[in-house]
Amino acid sequence: MELSHDLPDSTDWIDTSLPAFEPLEAALRCEVCKEFYNNPVITSCSHTFCSLCIRRCIGADGKCPACKSACQADKLMPNIAVREVVTKFQEARSKALELARKDKEDSETSVGARKRKVEEAELDEEEPVRQTRARQTRRSARRGETAGTDDAPFVILDSEEEKDGDYLPEGMAKCPICQELMKAHLVFDHVNTCTGEPGDRSTRSRKPSSFPTALQTRPKEPTPPTSRLSGLNYAMLTESALKKKLRDLGIPSTGSKALLIRRHQEWLNIYNSNCDASDAVRKSKRELLRELDEWERTQGGNANTKESYVMKKDFDGQGHAMAHKSQFDDLIANARKRAKAVQKSEPEGKTTREPNQEPQQQPHVDQSTTTQAPHPSTAPPPADAPAARPYEHNESALSTIKAKVDEANRTDSAFPSLSCEKSSSNDRAAKEAEMSEETTLGFQDPFRSPSRKVPMFALPAEPVCDVDSSTAIQ
Amino acid sequence: MTSSASKRLFKEYKGLSSDPPEGITAGPVTEDDMFLWEALIQGPEGTPFEGGVFPAELKFPKDYPLAPPKMKFLVDVWHPNVYPNGEVCISILHPPGDDPMHYEQASERWSPIQSVEKILISVMSMLAEPNDESPANVDAARMWREKRDEYERIVRGNVKKSLGL
Repeated sequence: MELSHDLPDSTDWIDTSLPAFEPLEAALRCEVCKEFYNNPVITSCSHTFCSLCIRRCIGADGKCPACKSACQADKLMPNIAVREVVTKFQEARSKALELARKDKEDSETSVGARKRKVEEAELDEEEPVRQTRARQTRRSARRGETAGTDDAPFVILDSEEEKDGDYLPEGMAKCPICQELMKAHLVFDHVNTCTGEPGDRSTRSRKPSSFPTALQTRPKEPTPPTSRLSGLNYAMLTESALKKKLRDLGIPSTGSKALLIRRHQEWLNIYNSNCDASDAVRKSKRELLRELDEWERTQGGNANTKESYVMKKDFDGQGHAMAHKSQFDDLIANARKRAKAVQKSEPEGKTTREPNQEPQQQPHVDQSTTTQAPHPSTAPPPADAPAARPYEHNESALSTIKAKVDEANRTDSAFPSLSCEKSSSNDRAAKEAEMSEETTLGFQDPFRSPSRKVPMFALPAEPVCDVDSSTAIQ
Repeated sequence: MTSSASKRLFKEYKGLSSDPPEGITAGPVTEDDMFLWEALIQGPEGTPFEGGVFPAELKFPKDYPLAPPKMKFLVDVWHPNVYPNGEVCISILHPPGDDPMHYEQASERWSPIQSVEKILISVMSMLAEPNDESPANVDAARMWREKRDEYERIVRGNVKKSLGL
């Protein structure tokens, strides 16, 4: 999941010197998605939401989420004033937040410094809210000279300043060529036409307080949608007629009728909400199709297959082994062939249990041998197979392994240490035969002990997977 | 891949951790799966639930916030509005269309502008003031109405049990 931990949020203001901006920013965010209003529209009951959010809500139950009164998608009107306020606020936000945070830090620092430097602290407190950048710079420079004890806080300030310099407002991205700041989804189209020269817009977006937008010329989108699409009476349409409608719209027409209907509704939501956008940020049909594709992956036809997280408890080791049996068998055959070519006689010692049964022995692998191959189903690339375990004649390695095997058997750890694998890579050539034999055996693991969970994916140690058992406690 | 649902859940998580309401802690069990949360609710003061800490699990649908999550206590909660299996029956968790008995106001039920925080606050006040008009646990409801002493004794017992005493 790509969620960054510094997702901008109204609570960002709480720990600054401007906590009153928290409710202000909350008021500029849609109550449904909690993002800044994106193409805000006003309902017939005078509530404002993102166009896409309210369209989805109306699609779900036909009511306004705020007051539950009946609502119709075709009564929605763009709320231009809110749109402008939100846009301007977003442009000013990062700078304001930076200043407010810095100010808070400064006032805290000055409280700490007061004990030592009364004079200086008083200077700081004079107007804690209305400090200008120039003033701060001057003061910090002066501080740096005066006292070594005060250095530390300013080091922090500097680094934070750097970070904030790279700060991008939510949903915005920089063109890699001209560094111009724009909505993230516009970057791709922009790059195709970018001349490489930073235009006057870039200076404007860095200094939010310059010209009014109306005076700036903005590039027009290639295909501005003109009129909203209207809904269909799905009950009156056969599946094939509906498919044809979807094809005519240029959206995927696969799946059951129920899915076709849901997809069509979502397309109407996406398309019509784009009609509520201002000309400057209206998206091309290609971008809308990308959004539909994302919906498809998260909530539509592909949702179940693609979004299921494989939990350790749910992982079907046996099923996985069955599904990939042919691959495993190939690998085993390869390994055996190589083993025979190099050396026929089996070495004595712990690692080989059943030397005479090589080709047919798969189901009869000794338990401890099985545990020696830590991740049979995770790492089956044949190239690695020869390099995995060259332990033959290596008494110290053998004893290490034995210890690990014992330990693994005792604790039934799902993650037998990888170190034996690593330590073995030193003397691979000499022990090739032995090691391929072991690798061979290792592939049996899923067949032999399905209850033993092989780490298929890296999973957090504290699980999710005990939910069932803990609910059962009652 | 982030759906709008997981994005919103992440925002709620952030809001709850930077500005938590009193007596409530909640967050996803792992940050890999935003759709399963665990919450801890303190028993409200001045009720037999006082002193208890009640873990509950919240399961969110893929189309959240269009549809409400499901909430289930992970310990025994003897309460008229909690099913014996721990599932919480409270109007804010019911989608607007789903009300065959018509005993709930539409305005009390789930709407996309509700949030985890509001759900948990509602559950806290539900613990303090049971609604015995539509009990999920009929026995508990009758006991609450008729034998309040016994009801409170069982609740206190559960509180002790949930604390491992």
